[in-house]
Amino acid sequence: MAVEETTTGQEIEDIIICRDVHKWYGSFHALKGVSTTVKPGEVVVILGPSGSGKSTLIRTINHLEQHQRGDIIVDGIELSGDIRNIDAIRREVGMVFQSFNLFPHLTVMQNITLAPTKVRHWSKSQAEEVANELLTRVGIPEQASKFPAELSGGQQQRVAIARALAMQPKVMLFDEPTSALDPEMIKEVLDVMRELASTGMTMLTVTHEIGFAREVADRVIMMDEGNIVEEAEPNEFFTNPKNERAQMFLSQIL
Amino acid sequence: MASPPLSQPEGMLPPRSEVGVIGWLHANLFSSLFNSVLTLVSGALLVTGLWFGLKWIFLAADWTVIAELGGRFLLGRYNTEAACEGQNCFWRPQAALIMVSLLLGAAWGLRGNRVARTVAWLVAGVSAAFAFLPYSLETMGLDVRILLLLNLPAVPLGWALARYTPMGTGTRVTILGVAIFFLTLILLRGLPAVPFLQPVSVVYWGGLSLNLILAVGGITLSLPIGIALALGRRSNLPVVKVLCVFFIEVFRGVPLITLLFMSQTLVPLAFPEDMPQNSLFRAAVVITLFSSAYMAENIRGGLQALHPGQAEAARALGLPGWQTTMLISLPQAIRNVIPAIVGQFIGLFKDTSLVYIIGMLDVVAIGRSFIQSNPEYLPSARELFVFLAAVFWIFTYGMSYISGKVEDYLGVGRR
Repeated sequence: MAVEETTTGQEIEDIIICRDVHKWYGSFHALKGVSTTVKPGEVVVILGPSGSGKSTLIRTINHLEQHQRGDIIVDGIELSGDIRNIDAIRREVGMVFQSFNLFPHLTVMQNITLAPTKVRHWSKSQAEEVANELLTRVGIPEQASKFPAELSGGQQQRVAIARALAMQPKVMLFDEPTSALDPEMIKEVLDVMRELASTGMTMLTVTHEIGFAREVADRVIMMDEGNIVEEAEPNEFFTNPKNERAQMFLSQIL
Repeated sequence: MASPPLSQPEGMLPPRSEVGVIGWLHANLFSSLFNSVLTLVSGALLVTGLWFGLKWIFLAADWTVIAELGGRFLLGRYNTEAACEGQNCFWRPQAALIMVSLLLGAAWGLRGNRVARTVAWLVAGVSAAFAFLPYSLETMGLDVRILLLLNLPAVPLGWALARYTPMGTGTRVTILGVAIFFLTLILLRGLPAVPFLQPVSVVYWGGLSLNLILAVGGITLSLPIGIALALGRRSNLPVVKVLCVFFIEVFRGVPLITLLFMSQTLVPLAFPEDMPQNSLFRAAVVITLFSSAYMAENIRGGLQALHPGQAEAARALGLPGWQTTMLISLPQAIRNVIPAIVGQFIGLFKDTSLVYIIGMLDVVAIGRSFIQSNPEYLPSARELFVFLAAVFWIFTYGMSYISGKVEDYLGVGRR
């Protein structure tokens, strides 16, 4: 069992391991053998043009998309077709979406306490206590009883972050969290993410915010056409990209 | 222009044509030449219609047929000598009515809801008002009148039960409602072993109470069955999916009248041979299943309109599939299709009249048969059917009014 050995050997070190991950949508080859690892506490930013597979990659990590070949191991749990493993991983991995995806029929408080009470089986008062702390942390403690539609986009995304954090995940996935926001609201969401990074949360972020990548990321991954074309420290990546495709991409966005 | 309005634009008043009665008239009725003509023509039509309509209702029409029909209108032939040989069965439907008043009172006490309060007092009030109908004591005895009046104290009693006793939770009041529904059926049907509950054959059931029993049973069962069918149709399991699609398409594809005919021969095949059945039960099964098929498609429409990100977000939080469905998808789907669901309820209520096909005398059939057997009332058919239309309208309008209130409460269209 060669796979088992390497898994046990690396699980203390790496919280996410992707090995030769392939994903097809019908006949379209979206991920062409992606391999990378993430250490606990690391902040990784994934850049790349649209259609390059960056969202697909982070969506395979909590199995919102199913990969067809290769291994994904999160927190020592192998992500196979086994439904119990999938639910176990999802409990440890929080996700924030581009379109927020708050539950519109529930209040902010109910949005945040739903998963902790139903999945973690916390008591209502315990979940609400945690929710209030998180709302204070993301800067909107006064909005608990409102419905999502009554909040601005930036406030909604901050609630979505609080909702994911309420499950006390070990990893947070951000799928273009600021792409649907007005410019003045982007900052308030990035500030929350910055604060989160400074507390040592493991974060995988797909974003177009170069400033955030430069300042916060420990590592930048550049993807193109389903492959990782460059992986480097932000300083290195932005000043001296080695790959031709990365150079072209940076010349267009900087 | 002087300077104050410029420095304080919020102090400027809108032009006269935009506010008040004149503004409203201008904006809504006479905003253009075409609209003015339209207003005048439809106004003239409205006034003429009202003039002749009201003149007929208050002066020309002869409403004695309604009074002559009396209790048969509500209970069909239930109170006749033939239905309840050697006994007086009048108290059984009355007791059922009192239980309904109690239940409505409990529903009001549960949430202190204004709509529930209005409905409860309306039902009890109308029932109690029947006690003062100017029939002779021979036609309508004192005992009947007292039982009708008892509806009034039943409402506050139900309210107090829900307020001050452990009965006051949603689940318990729902259970009470289901219990009262079955108790009503048992009361009306009777039990062979109990001396004062002599069985009354369902052929004697009839009138508005028959429509209401079929509608209440159909509405409460077709929603959960419809939800199950809708979820089954979206299932990943091919067998479940095919079965649900088959069921829905068959029951939607056949006219209800055909189904009601077929029910008399086919429904018995679906149940154990020694299970006691009757035509009412068969009709209720068919009406419920017919409505469930439509309900399933309404709910499926609501599920399809949901953004896939909703289920994704729930799954990403670690909620299992069934909890995602029950807590996230279904509540939103149902909320979005409340108008279609209530439309289906209204359709079901009106369709209950079709049981005349299998020989049951619902409220319409009772009226028709009354006129047929009493030819002297033949000229009054117009009054009778206008009255029946009004009764149906009151119930269906009540349903849409309540659904509007439910939508307001859930904030449909706002969030």
